[in-house]
Amino acid sequence: MTAVSRRRFLVLSASATALAASAVGGLGWLRGSAPNVDGLRVLSDQQYRTFAAIARTHIPQGGAFAEGAVDFDLARMFDGYLADQPSADQRDAGMAIHLVEFGPLLFDHGAVTFSNLTPEQQLAHWSGWGTAGKQMRREVFWSFSRFLGLTFYDHEAVWPHLNYAGPSFARLSSRPAGNP
Amino acid sequence: MTEIFDCSADGFAPHDLKCEYLVIGSGCGGGTAARVLAEAGKDVILLEEGGDFLGPARLTQRDTPMYDQLYVDRGGRTNKDRTINILSGRVLGGGGVINASDVVPIHDSTWEFWQKHHGWKDFSPTAMAPYKAKALLDLSANRIEEKQINRNNQILRQGVEKLGWRGEVMLHNRLNCQGLGSCLIGCPAGAKQNPRMVSINKALAAGARVFVRARALQIRDATTDKKRVEVQTLDAKGYHPTNRFAIDARTVIVAANPVGTVALLRNSHLGNRQLGQRVSLQPQVPCVALMPDRVNAFDGIPQAYALTEFERHDAEVGLTGFRVESIFGTPGVLGSLVSAPGAQGKALMAQLDHIAAALVLVPDQPVGEIKVNSGRPEVDYTLTAEWKTRARQAVRSAARAYFAAGAKMVVVPAAPPVLIHSEAELAKIDALTFDPVTISLISAHQQGGARLGPDESTSACDLNGQVWGTRGVFVCDGSVFPSTSSSHTMTPIITMAHALTDRLLQRVGQPN
Repeated sequence: MTAVSRRRFLVLSASATALAASAVGGLGWLRGSAPNVDGLRVLSDQQYRTFAAIARTHIPQGGAFAEGAVDFDLARMFDGYLADQPSADQRDAGMAIHLVEFGPLLFDHGAVTFSNLTPEQQLAHWSGWGTAGKQMRREVFWSFSRFLGLTFYDHEAVWPHLNYAGPSFARLSSRPAGNP
Repeated sequence: MTEIFDCSADGFAPHDLKCEYLVIGSGCGGGTAARVLAEAGKDVILLEEGGDFLGPARLTQRDTPMYDQLYVDRGGRTNKDRTINILSGRVLGGGGVINASDVVPIHDSTWEFWQKHHGWKDFSPTAMAPYKAKALLDLSANRIEEKQINRNNQILRQGVEKLGWRGEVMLHNRLNCQGLGSCLIGCPAGAKQNPRMVSINKALAAGARVFVRARALQIRDATTDKKRVEVQTLDAKGYHPTNRFAIDARTVIVAANPVGTVALLRNSHLGNRQLGQRVSLQPQVPCVALMPDRVNAFDGIPQAYALTEFERHDAEVGLTGFRVESIFGTPGVLGSLVSAPGAQGKALMAQLDHIAAALVLVPDQPVGEIKVNSGRPEVDYTLTAEWKTRARQAVRSAARAYFAAGAKMVVVPAAPPVLIHSEAELAKIDALTFDPVTISLISAHQQGGARLGPDESTSACDLNGQVWGTRGVFVCDGSVFPSTSSSHTMTPIITMAHALTDRLLQRVGQPN
């Protein structure tokens, strides 16, 4: 259920698009430089950094169990996913990531971009995308959170914390039929 | 047995392919049609855009690769306002490979409704009974046994019975089920008697040629006796186009799920103004309960019990009301529904083994429309106020059943999640607006868009399934229904496929 953006992101409100464009062009220095990431297929280093921050915020390390999204490099997995999507979807997803990066400036009147917020600020800001008045922001939130939830909880290192023993065929296929 | 041709194979480029009947789409409609025609001695080719997935080596029970490979748009298709995740199969065998194996035939009152209000004069319950019987036989339909009902389903049942409501253990199409629990991403044990396991094997045995990783792009010459269908081959994972070839056929049967069917016909410049209209998505709302004891809902048959107290069958209005059915899946898909970011979402998922879950199934009016923009389908569908009211009642009923069964908390996956700690907090459900992209909704039973009817001004196909304005282009899938057919569409579609294919054979003077 990786409902990643479609052409929908091209239908952003005019103000948000204009703000994003100005942010990317004129205010890009605010986000700072991103470290070089080898082997990316679609995402830029900046986009990778932002998506990694979203992932880290959505599924942080600690809490109920130690592992978090950062342990499995879900941003690289997203890059791999996008590489096999139509080019229009790649563009739309890239734009969505940019919007999140500049979200604090665009929607919270802040002076720091998403990647540069503290973890607590990132969580507060990202949570706001899920309940935002602008539908476009909710779409970004649901699309990214579905991808992150699907891929993170499909990881075998997480299963012991869920008391899930993993794919059942190998464990159960020798059992008499009809006894789940 | 004829082999299955994998069009993703290097150098695959067939020439001069011809057949009498070309079937596009291999699910409940197309798979059944191909098999019936092949067994009648017809020369049949069956096309499927997805791959062939059988057995544990291919059906791995892992969410990420399976949603990627078994579902249309890698599981990511939504309606236009992105409120509803539209799930349908993209695999040899279609939706039957990835559904919950529920067998729910069309109720007699629905046939009567269609007779009375949609001009389906020959489709009486009596006339359709033989086709229903064939569908049930294809599916090896049988009642889920008591010992197969897992804790997740028992919890819903316990709540329903405590409240004195009506419910039922469901019919299914599994044989020798091992309770693997991964039905929504395919059964590696092959227990589901779905189109892949039944009709397609029989079609192959009867000489049908089956092509996978083959996407039909366009139907040409639709009013002539020799139609040409342009086919795009895809790479091994179905992501990227590779080659093209063409197939000449006397008759073309389109069975690509309502969205795919309408898109193909539109891209072929076929169909009247009714094509794409009156689409039902039958949206479903997930509902989760945190139980005091372990549930281990990921083991066993996911969907075995239904609350049916509030479902209404009426020959004047069709199927309405709602039902609630237990459901579960593998951790990834559950995780994708948990919207809460940060520690809250992790805390809920860490209790996965204590979670019971259900879907509320709320039949809708066919208010949607499938359009095609730049070749790509778009499903324009807006939830009605009446549907929202029934959906709130349905979620309330599910929550009440869970609390009656001892739930500590009920969660509706919205943003933010609606957390209900007792019956006293049920009013929180009334605040659900169902505004676009505020709650996780699922459509697993798309219907309509190419409905049958006696009159060209109000239908897209005639009562034989032939697309108005064509000669020999038929539709044979869930898109033919004028309104929602049942709470689950596998059995209705197979029933209709038998009926329409029978009509097709009678039309060309062949014995049934």
